[in-house]
Amino acid sequence: MQLNATRGRLIAASCALLGATAARSQDAAGAAADSPSTDWSVDSALAYYNESGRIKAIEPIVNISKDYGDGNTFSAQLTFDSLSGSTPNGALPSRQPQTFASPSGKSLSAAPTTYTTSSGTLVSESAPVYTINPGQLPMDPHYHDQRLALSGSWGHAFTRLLTGTAGGKFSYERDFFSLSANAGLSRDFNDKNTTLSFQVNNEFDSLSPIGGAPVAASDYALFEKGGGKTKDGVGAMLGLTQVMTRRWLTEFNLSVDRFKGYLNDPYKIISVIDAGGNTTGYLYEKRPGTRTRESAYWDNRAAWGRVSGDLSLRYMVDDWHVHSDTAQLHLRWWNFDRDRYLEPTLRWYRQSAADFYTPWLDSTAGYIGYASSDQRLAAFHALTYGLKYGVKLEDSEDQSSSELSVRLEYYRQTPDSARAAPGSLQGLDLYPGLKAILLQVGWRF
Amino acid sequence: MRNKLRAILLLAAGAALMGGCSSLGVKPWQRDVLARQDMQLNSEPLDQAIDDHMYFSKEASSGGRGFAGGGCGCN
Repeated sequence: MQLNATRGRLIAASCALLGATAARSQDAAGAAADSPSTDWSVDSALAYYNESGRIKAIEPIVNISKDYGDGNTFSAQLTFDSLSGSTPNGALPSRQPQTFASPSGKSLSAAPTTYTTSSGTLVSESAPVYTINPGQLPMDPHYHDQRLALSGSWGHAFTRLLTGTAGGKFSYERDFFSLSANAGLSRDFNDKNTTLSFQVNNEFDSLSPIGGAPVAASDYALFEKGGGKTKDGVGAMLGLTQVMTRRWLTEFNLSVDRFKGYLNDPYKIISVIDAGGNTTGYLYEKRPGTRTRESAYWDNRAAWGRVSGDLSLRYMVDDWHVHSDTAQLHLRWWNFDRDRYLEPTLRWYRQSAADFYTPWLDSTAGYIGYASSDQRLAAFHALTYGLKYGVKLEDSEDQSSSELSVRLEYYRQTPDSARAAPGSLQGLDLYPGLKAILLQVGWRF
Repeated sequence: MRNKLRAILLLAAGAALMGGCSSLGVKPWQRDVLARQDMQLNSEPLDQAIDDHMYFSKEASSGGRGFAGGGCGCN
């Protein structure tokens, strides 16, 4: 029973993040973590995210978990995001001013819309358009959105060695709704030094773009838009967790997922450029209707005295021909009393471009196949530098009962390849990259 | 790149074989270090959730340690 209780506690911690695999619920392959307790555990954080000159976001998040002490565990997580600011619309900078409509707009005219209400009042509303100065990256300055997400997970130990998990997630935005469910099994071997797990996930998404979903590859100026769209996906993951030594734990995951349906970004357009570098128009982007991703992920945890480290490597490839490499290192230094720690983090990321990524379209091109100028599908590399400071607080019985933490991260994305700009586009910053900071305050009790 | 993935899969198979080796691992009374909270593979779930959200919104790849989901990706 004691083993079940401690094991269940691990499950609760592991499944706090919905979608965490059953493999991760077998952390330490049955090792006892802290003292067994049937109390509720609460983990909370408030994050502030700021992209230089672009999006700002506030994200409070809270997770509660409970180990029932009988092999059953429960975890739930509530997340709220509030985003606002400017977001690139996909078009290129130009030597000329460029006027765009916000997603709700129905024309590129800056003239106010005038109409008479049912009570006879004459109303004049400014047109939802914005103008970008020459040389500036076109960004919609009025982007704002809120997201509410709720997830839950249940774990059950069928036997001393076999554990099952089941979970679900609900996420709602003004223009997006997502529902997913997952289930998994994990089995311990070799005196609980080895854990093999398998988990599946099914997701259904409904998109209701503001102003309607544009017809893919249609002329931006024609405002050809329809109703809502859907997409759905399935995924599977095979995981292996192995205790290597008294101080080293390793995990290896192989995963595959496949999405089909509407995979476009409904708000992204592509500039059409002539040989002189002049913008002659814009088209909405067009992506394939399916995407299959495969990944291999390897994580290692090790500890030496008052230092612990976590090194993870990930390789991912998809049938859009994006392939990426990720390496992340956390090092945590505890003080002598083990009630404070400092944790620097370094993350390196590199991806190739999707085969249909193009920063612009040539005006002389005929049939438009798949095309997107979304920078997230371009070739780039990114570095994240982070530092976290944590303090454990003691209760009246001098037992560690809660933890306060502050985390700061700096993220920088740098484009890796650039197509030679024609004519008047030369000299403009067509690939500006991205810089962002993240500040997070956490409280766990 | 497919070859690269296959190489990683082979490594995974090797790791699985290693995992099956009873010479690896520890006895129950040797789990003191492994029991530390900072030795759990998912020791900071909220940090990971917030980071994953940031990277999911800005990069083409996501997931690996869990299901990333399709998401909206509209910002």
